[in-house]
Amino acid sequence: MRKVKKILVLVAVIAGLLACESTNFVPPVTSQMAATRKGQHVDLAMLREGRTLLVHRCIECHTLPPLWHYRIEDWPEIVDSMSHRASLKPAERDAVIAYIIAVRPTEQ
Amino acid sequence: MTGALLTRNLTLRILFLLTLLPPAAALGGARHFTYIYEAVTSAPGSVEMENWITWNRTSDPQRVDEVDFRHEFEFGLTNRFQASVYVADWFYARDPKHSGFTYSDSAIELIYNLTNPVVDPIGLSIYEEIRAGDRIFELESKVIAQKNFGAWIFAYNATLEAVWEGDGWQTPNGELQQALGASYEISPRVSVGAELLHEFVFPDWRDREHIRNVFVGPNISYRHGSWFVTITALAQATSTPDEPDFQLRTIFGVGF
Repeated sequence: MRKVKKILVLVAVIAGLLACESTNFVPPVTSQMAATRKGQHVDLAMLREGRTLLVHRCIECHTLPPLWHYRIEDWPEIVDSMSHRASLKPAERDAVIAYIIAVRPTEQ
Repeated sequence: MTGALLTRNLTLRILFLLTLLPPAAALGGARHFTYIYEAVTSAPGSVEMENWITWNRTSDPQRVDEVDFRHEFEFGLTNRFQASVYVADWFYARDPKHSGFTYSDSAIELIYNLTNPVVDPIGLSIYEEIRAGDRIFELESKVIAQKNFGAWIFAYNATLEAVWEGDGWQTPNGELQQALGASYEISPRVSVGAELLHEFVFPDWRDREHIRNVFVGPNISYRHGSWFVTITALAQATSTPDEPDFQLRTIFGVGF
């Protein structure tokens, strides 16, 4: 009985961590993401750079919030407010914003 | 060296280093732990000054209070590589017989990041530190592991220290340490967590005395703008003489 309890606790912990992991979902860049931003200057290379910068620079200070946690129109200001702290040059800041916005339509 | 002279020398060194800083540098990153390193390295071009204060209280075999100070400059060199200079490690110690300030050593620290804690199965970095003073020479190597799960950060360090102490650095000692930490971000500015240290001490690189120490305690971290402060309180869970019963460490970091 004790063993069963331990296994259940272990399963619950793993399930909890997996649930947390979904909030770290930073999907790889796809051609579909670039297509969602038609009419604006965004390409796959820029989106890839944005993703790389997001997962390296932003976590120096804080964990990554779920990208759907804020409205699309709020993200440019949020990223801009921390871009100096994260040593993001203007083009790098734009790449991070472009990636976050491109991810949004593909979210579940 | 007197306290006043030491302070003046330190100030001059720090002011000199500040003149070398690039004008548009930024914060290197906020720490969520004080006894445990995280795998993420600082952004290239970032510069940060960190001041460490650690209060240790030992009561066995006699009561000794020691406050250790460290002044560190951290430089992000590439996307994966950072270097730090410990301008000075010094301490104030007070025991029943005497008290006073003592300069201990200076050091350099290098960290190279291998994998990312968000997109890779585990974030890994390797660490090397070289420390030298008039009565100590130390080489410290670490493997740093980190994984982020949502608002949680888990970090693990495995450390090997080789130390030569005393006049002429004649007394060799070794230490293995593993450290585990968890931190939960309760808001974008505040994290709380816990740290655990498990030490295996080898005087003269032998295990005759079978010295094992465990320290455990909570931490809290606050960040705002280009600065952060992180505090950890650790209590000794073992009963090893000459080791602190209680430690309180604060790291205050500011980016330029």
